Amino acid sequence: MLKYTVRKAGQSLLLALGVLILAFAMVRMTGDPASLMMSRNASAEEREAFREAMGFNRPVLIQFVDWITDVFRGDFGDSLHFREPALPLVIQRLPATLRLAATGLAFAILMGVPLGLIAGFRANSLIDLFGRLIALLGQSIPNFWLGLILILVFGQQLGWFPVFGADKPESVVLPAFVLSLPVMGELLRLTRSAALEVRNEDFVRTAFSKGLHRHTIYIKHVLPNVAISLVSVIGVEFGYMLGGSIYIETVFAWPGMGQLVGQALGWRDFPLVQTIVVFTSLVVLGLNLLTDLIYALVDPRIRHGK
Amino acid sequence: MKRIFSLGLTLLVLMSLLIGCTPTAPAETEAPPADAATEVADTEEGSADAPVAEGPQGTLRVALPTEPSSLYIPTTPDKISDIAASQLYDPLVFQDKTGAIVPALAESWETSEDGTVWTFKLRQGVTFHNGDPFTADDVVATWEYGISDSSSWPEKYNIATAVEKVDDFTVTVTTDGPKPLLLVTMHDFWSIIPKKYMDEVGVDGFLANPVGTGPFMFKEWVKGDHITYVANPNYWQAGYPKAAELVFRFIPESATRVAAIQQDEVDIVTRLSAEEAESLKSAAGVNVIQYQVPRIYYIAFDNLSSGIDTPIAEPKVRQAMNYAVDVDGIIKALFAGNGQRAAGYVASSELGYGIVPPFPYDPEKAKTLLAEAGYADGFEIDMACPSGVFAAFQEVCQAIVSNLGDVGITVNLEMMESGAFWDLMVKKQLPPLNGDSWADESGESYNRMAGALGGMDAGYSLWSDPKIDELLDQISSELDRDKRKALYEELQVYMQENPPFIYLYEPVTFEATRDTVTGYSPRPSEMLYLYDTAVAP
Repeated sequence: MLKYTVRKAGQSLLLALGVLILAFAMVRMTGDPASLMMSRNASAEEREAFREAMGFNRPVLIQFVDWITDVFRGDFGDSLHFREPALPLVIQRLPATLRLAATGLAFAILMGVPLGLIAGFRANSLIDLFGRLIALLGQSIPNFWLGLILILVFGQQLGWFPVFGADKPESVVLPAFVLSLPVMGELLRLTRSAALEVRNEDFVRTAFSKGLHRHTIYIKHVLPNVAISLVSVIGVEFGYMLGGSIYIETVFAWPGMGQLVGQALGWRDFPLVQTIVVFTSLVVLGLNLLTDLIYALVDPRIRHGK
Repeated sequence: MKRIFSLGLTLLVLMSLLIGCTPTAPAETEAPPADAATEVADTEEGSADAPVAEGPQGTLRVALPTEPSSLYIPTTPDKISDIAASQLYDPLVFQDKTGAIVPALAESWETSEDGTVWTFKLRQGVTFHNGDPFTADDVVATWEYGISDSSSWPEKYNIATAVEKVDDFTVTVTTDGPKPLLLVTMHDFWSIIPKKYMDEVGVDGFLANPVGTGPFMFKEWVKGDHITYVANPNYWQAGYPKAAELVFRFIPESATRVAAIQQDEVDIVTRLSAEEAESLKSAAGVNVIQYQVPRIYYIAFDNLSSGIDTPIAEPKVRQAMNYAVDVDGIIKALFAGNGQRAAGYVASSELGYGIVPPFPYDPEKAKTLLAEAGYADGFEIDMACPSGVFAAFQEVCQAIVSNLGDVGITVNLEMMESGAFWDLMVKKQLPPLNGDSWADESGESYNRMAGALGGMDAGYSLWSDPKIDELLDQISSELDRDKRKALYEELQVYMQENPPFIYLYEPVTFEATRDTVTGYSPRPSEMLYLYDTAVAP
């Protein structure tokens, strides 16, 4: 287990370094920040002074090394837009994004897993077809579009939910639902195929032949077996939700990291974009590592590479 | 089976409610009294016009398309920040809705013979939000902080070479020559801050808790969600502000802003598309406002680098290209008719507008001019446009390519990421034709002209012409408004004969208000001053 842990952690570290390099390179390819941050009527000298002050006039490699060094000290630089340290700005937004992603994940699990179980045990029935249709739609409808439609129908027309912000407890329902759909589809598909697999296993047939109630069989015998494969997927999907919230948070004006990154890109606020990208990536990498470890702990075959 | 479903559903609702109740910062904030406002609108029709009781009332909720960056004027890089910040401060002089400069914190002023020393008599008895009295020291400090390293707009304060205290309620502002735009610049940027408080807390402390003499006082800024102000009970202008509370909500997606105003979750929304505005015209309780913005879209010619020794060096070719582009067709097709063909480089709300008509669409005349210039068979040339920053601009540039193709000019269009585009513009490395747009809020086109036509020294200029330089120089030092107007007119006639641009259009902006809102009047510059805007409580 130790060897496995070290190997996985090593892989994660390498990936983290890759993320750092990419995050730095990507935002620097979009042009000179001084051109965008300064007023159009600023003189050439004022522009040069700005570059000097912000360190944008030094060689890119040196800027990168300086940045990496600072990042390891926890200093991600100041947001150009807010003129405040970028990391606290991002961390401030974390609770809202976590709240959205957690609610979305809860929706996805509560809708996807039961539907998948039923669909698996009743393959090709009407409910199975319905489930698969939902899964397909959930994974293929653009969430930006769906968000606007829900705002139009459930906010504007029916007035059931607020159309933006996070003021009220029910504000989370629409954005979390949109965020949950693709994940729900994935979980449904996965649970369905797992249920299809185990329903012909001896222990399930034995349980049926003993006359146990179907619900008992689902919950006591099938779910634990399906759970193993769900754990790995849920970890990854939660990471996806943190990243996937950009559009949804923008549409619903949800005060989280997703909206911030959307705006930071518009402001060309390099340090802020970098911080969000790196921070989110590290959280996702951490989650994936954790998932791998839990998975290996639950199912020893994994860590032995079988 | 049914039980599983109902169990699942119950769990779902419980989970969402539980998670929903987790106290995060935005969730703790007070919800706007949307219901109350609806009730008033429903039960007391026309209440907005009825005489209002004493003192400020109601909560005015304004949707902004992005989050401000700062509430301290010298560090506000964009219009949205400027709108949010300006409600907190007063300048020495104010530009009213007609464009006239009127007294604000300065009661009167006079200029020296040579126009370089301005003496301002300050209003007495004004206090800042923290109780500090307003004096000449604060004016000096405002300027000193404005030119310091902490400022993003030093050039707006550098317009003066010195600001000095004469006595507690008199200051002099010295310039190195007559500056006709001094008062307008002061109105826009010199928002007076309290020296004592600023010295105590520093710029960072001030950013966290800004203090001015303005109609509204800062209450809170929940990052990512909203900014709240309350009415200043000691405001020096009796009877203002009209609203007891002012809340800015940040809603990036314009379709969501449309839904928010229809749902009565906000009172004012800005920056809507033409289609969205159209859809709101039939909505109950919503008024749609539209106005022309002093922004000119254009295709710039380059005579500093890549355009040298190309056909565009010939004025007749540049005129021909102006005749060749069907701007009205573009406005009709791409903006549903919302916009106005630009008549030169002076916007319709600016000083000196109206002297030259727009170039008409006349491809035959274009061909004749091209033939006269020796290009009867046309020519080939490169063009670049920035992507993602201006509405439908890619389509606009493609239409221009097609129009120019019709008269024999083959244009190779490259759409560029906007950051890279302006980066290359500053380095003078763009192709000979460039799509761009420039706005100015001073009521005059001087800044825009000096910026785009200033030759090698101006960052965003691709053009140099001694005659234009000379006229701009005269404008920059002419204090008499009528004489300046004549100079602008002369310049426009010249720029029609020797066009440095293909002139395109002035855009229209759309906004909407709830019908409980009164006294709301945006400026052509899209700037909002909300001291006299009321909302039925």
